[in-house]
Amino acid sequence: MPEPSATTLTEVSEEKSPTSAPEHQDVRTGRSPGQVAWARLKRDKVAIICAVIILFFIVVAIFAPLLVSLEAVDPITKVKADVGTVHTELVDFNGLPTVGASSAHWLGVEPRLGRDLFARWAYGARPSLIIGFVAAFASTVIGVTLGLVAGYLGGVADKIISWIIDFFLSLPILLLVLAIIPIMQKRLAAGGDLSAEETSTIRFWVLIVILVVFGWMGLARLVRGEVKSLREREFVQAARAIGVPTRSILFREILPNLVGPIIVSASIAVPAYITYEATLSYLGAGLVEPTASWGRTIADAQNLFATYPLWLWPSVIGLSLLVLALSLLGDSIRDAFDPTSRR
Amino acid sequence: MLTYILRRLALALSVILATLVSAFLLFFAGPSDPAQAMCPETRCNPQRLQQITQSIGLDKPLSVQFLEYFKGLFVGRDFLYAGDTVHCGAPCLGFSFVTRRSVNDELFTRFPNTVVLALMAAVVFVTVGVTLGIIAAVRRGSATDRGLVGASQVLGSIPYYVLALLVALYPVILWNVLPQYSAISAGVGPYFLGMLAPALILGFVTSASYVRYTRNSMIETLSMDYIRTARSKGINERTVLFKHGFRAAMSPIATILGLDIAALLTGTLITEQIFGVDGIGRRGLAALKAFDLPVIMGTVLIGAVVVVVMNLVVDIAYSFIDPRVRLS
Repeated sequence: MPEPSATTLTEVSEEKSPTSAPEHQDVRTGRSPGQVAWARLKRDKVAIICAVIILFFIVVAIFAPLLVSLEAVDPITKVKADVGTVHTELVDFNGLPTVGASSAHWLGVEPRLGRDLFARWAYGARPSLIIGFVAAFASTVIGVTLGLVAGYLGGVADKIISWIIDFFLSLPILLLVLAIIPIMQKRLAAGGDLSAEETSTIRFWVLIVILVVFGWMGLARLVRGEVKSLREREFVQAARAIGVPTRSILFREILPNLVGPIIVSASIAVPAYITYEATLSYLGAGLVEPTASWGRTIADAQNLFATYPLWLWPSVIGLSLLVLALSLLGDSIRDAFDPTSRR
Repeated sequence: MLTYILRRLALALSVILATLVSAFLLFFAGPSDPAQAMCPETRCNPQRLQQITQSIGLDKPLSVQFLEYFKGLFVGRDFLYAGDTVHCGAPCLGFSFVTRRSVNDELFTRFPNTVVLALMAAVVFVTVGVTLGIIAAVRRGSATDRGLVGASQVLGSIPYYVLALLVALYPVILWNVLPQYSAISAGVGPYFLGMLAPALILGFVTSASYVRYTRNSMIETLSMDYIRTARSKGINERTVLFKHGFRAAMSPIATILGLDIAALLTGTLITEQIFGVDGIGRRGLAALKAFDLPVIMGTVLIGAVVVVVMNLVVDIAYSFIDPRVRLS
């Protein structure tokens, strides 16, 4: 796989040595930690390669219909392939496809159902990316808010929030998530016959909510600790002394000091959520048909992995590459924000 | 020190209790009907359904059900099955709705498999991770160091289940390089050989983070003044590294190790499922698919207890390992 190899990683560590760090030309123009980090990130080759890979998947996800329409008209079905249409005429009585990879089906067709595999793959990038970014955003907002409240108010609020954090952290989360998703699904879908699409959409949002509910604790704990030390600092005391309202102190005075850790934590959360979604889909508690999902495809394809590897591998590579790029970019962002990170 | 331990103990107990209550509420108050799940499809009539509902106590109010379950954990309880009274000794986790066997039997006979897998993986990631981490720290800045850190970053970033699945599919099933899992009843040799593939992949992937922990901890320790003193006294480098450096660098690693083993005891679910290891994770997953509530409850409860107890042990042990913590 064309991932950034160890050698590219090493070149980055060279650049981060103190001597090559951009120097201040003019003492009067100070730069914010965010600007410093951005400057370091732009010089990080791994980060750039990762960003390009991530951008590639985002483009694939956005323009999936367009990409799929580039495939040629199928000579047997006489129509262009799309993501959902089942073509049983393209598989034999064992369920194995009768057509291979061709101009009409760039990655062949799905065994049993005969759906176009390239379309499934391209559309499969969508739920991964949406879940990753939406869940990361939501859990960041919750984690920051609770962390701020606990750290700044102290007292009973802090005790309660800290206990909740400890409680959530000691739960066997994977097992609980696996158990709760079908229960919530049943609750929400109760009464009324829903189409497969509607069920699938409900499952999609249930998944995001559950991931967020079980994913905010790490950041909350981090923010709480930082706020606890920041609130004793002079500038916060000064603000309090001149009567700045608590809300402004929290969001105008304290929060800007936490931008670094928050961005780092959010950027590491995105690949974690994508992995979680794919794992849940693999274990059967994630996305359901007809939504195209890499995790589900991998689960379905594993039974035919030896006879029909074309079913398994595109999703394996897509998922691994996307998560790898996001994780390494997250690592680079962390290094860029961390003044002590010199490898 | 004693108040600290007592406070931690109280926190641990409150967490276990809260887990119990929330799991109970979720599953027993959930919309699924366990009695329906127990009722055999072909011979199910309303009368029989009601009989089952009564025998497992689902007709009682939720609070009563919870108190009975709770009581069963400490003193055991009696179940009425088809006219017979079955006693279930403490800690009673109830009976599986699907297999009708005691949940204690179901889970405690499988727990050793999970423990063996977790410990074998732990041996792999501790030896591999710590060794490579020390090598990286000692050769800091060299090509070896960068290669190790880069490789561990890449390995730790790919979704774990994809790696495990590929190992299960190709070397184990297709190429037969590594043997498949077989139960202990098939012999001790094949049992441990079969555990090799899941333990190795779990161990290698986990070792990625240990390489980084060990490397950072070692680098920090080696930059301490007392290491410089030891070197300047002319003590040979090997002794400095292992006696002075390694031992001090290991105390944070020991903490993480305790937590990771706890996480593994509850988190080998994916590995067990992919490699077919008959542990509690896999059993819990099967129970989830069948809505077998007592087994799900039992698995969640065991998981919570393991994590909470390990957390507690680690916190207390840490204050003994590192004297600086005890003083504060």
